[in-house]
Amino acid sequence: MTNGENIDVLAAEYALGTLDAAERSSVAARRRRDLALDLAIEQWEARLAPLAQTISSVEPRSGLFAEIETRIAVRHAATVSNIQVVVLEHSMRRWRRRALAAAALAACLLVAIGVRESMRPQAPTSYVAVFQKDDASPAFLLSVDLETRMLSIRPVAAQPQAGKTYQLWIASEKLGGAPQSLGLIEDHDTVTRRLLAAYDPAIVQQATFGVSLEPAGGSPTGRPTGPAFHAKLIPAPR
Amino acid sequence: MALLLQLVASQDRRAFASLYAASSSKLYGIILRILKRRDVAEDILQDVYVRIWERAMDFDSRKAPAIAWMIAIARNRALDERRRAAVGLDAIDADAEVANIVSEDEDPLAAAERSDNLRRLAECLNKLDKNRRDIVLLAYRDGYSRQELSQRLARPVGTIKTWLHHSLVQLKTCLGQ
Repeated sequence: MTNGENIDVLAAEYALGTLDAAERSSVAARRRRDLALDLAIEQWEARLAPLAQTISSVEPRSGLFAEIETRIAVRHAATVSNIQVVVLEHSMRRWRRRALAAAALAACLLVAIGVRESMRPQAPTSYVAVFQKDDASPAFLLSVDLETRMLSIRPVAAQPQAGKTYQLWIASEKLGGAPQSLGLIEDHDTVTRRLLAAYDPAIVQQATFGVSLEPAGGSPTGRPTGPAFHAKLIPAPR
Repeated sequence: MALLLQLVASQDRRAFASLYAASSSKLYGIILRILKRRDVAEDILQDVYVRIWERAMDFDSRKAPAIAWMIAIARNRALDERRRAAVGLDAIDADAEVANIVSEDEDPLAAAERSDNLRRLAECLNKLDKNRRDIVLLAYRDGYSRQELSQRLARPVGTIKTWLHHSLVQLKTCLGQ
């Protein structure tokens, strides 16, 4: 097919959509090196585009855009290598198996935060931590501003469980070693609170944070009782 | 929208959010009509916006309006998925949920509200024989392949191919572009 008219018919059928799977992928590959074909396809797409006005719009479910942003961040993670993520994993055995994937995901989520941060005036006191679930998915993202002592925690892959609640803890040698409760993560949206007002920023910066799964209403003992994951703060990427 | 797309090309996330707000229901309508299943269509819609984000710098406002550029990405992605998954006509007809959403007037070109470029295209399509006009509409709007058109109209695939080629050549001549 070198004849100009045939190229145009092929472009028209590609744009219209009537080709089968094999023909479509062959045209898609060919247009990358055949500028005449590529141009002809673009012209046919523009010619037919008014027909889209005859198709009813349908509102996608809310929340889809946030998932798109996450997908973009995940794809960009592959190009990021200079971010160190400190993650303490509860279940080392499972973690090892999935370590590479998890680190990539964690890194990209940090990038997502970094990008969002970079749209605001830079605060030199922003830190983040990623809580790994017991598989490849980061379960929670924690961000902390040491200056304002604001703490924000966002569930990522963590799912609500019937009759259970997630509880956030802080632990440090300087706080006596035992975990202290920072409260329950009951909303399945981002929770932002000044939970750290009572803590010395220097201690917070070095502390270990934990999230544990507890009975509804929180740990009955004042100490983590259920499965937990831990993380330490690292400076938010710029 | 062209301006938004140019801002997206410079990695402006707020412009991207605005672009999504302005275009997602149109693109989702197009994708859902081709793929019929909400879960599949949502997945493809996400993928389409990732592509828009990554390829926005390829957009050239001299070649096509921004919405036409995005529609092409959405349709190509949805069509590839439909061909890959070989969504059958049976599955499509059986899907009442979506059939409800996409049910429309008998004549999609009869709508009172239409842009100048749709009016011109409709005039040219209306000059074609009914069968030949219908296959263009079924292909563009519903994502029918030659094979599916052949089943739907009970004609050999070769006949459909010939009709398509004649229709498209006539259309181009009529539009004079």
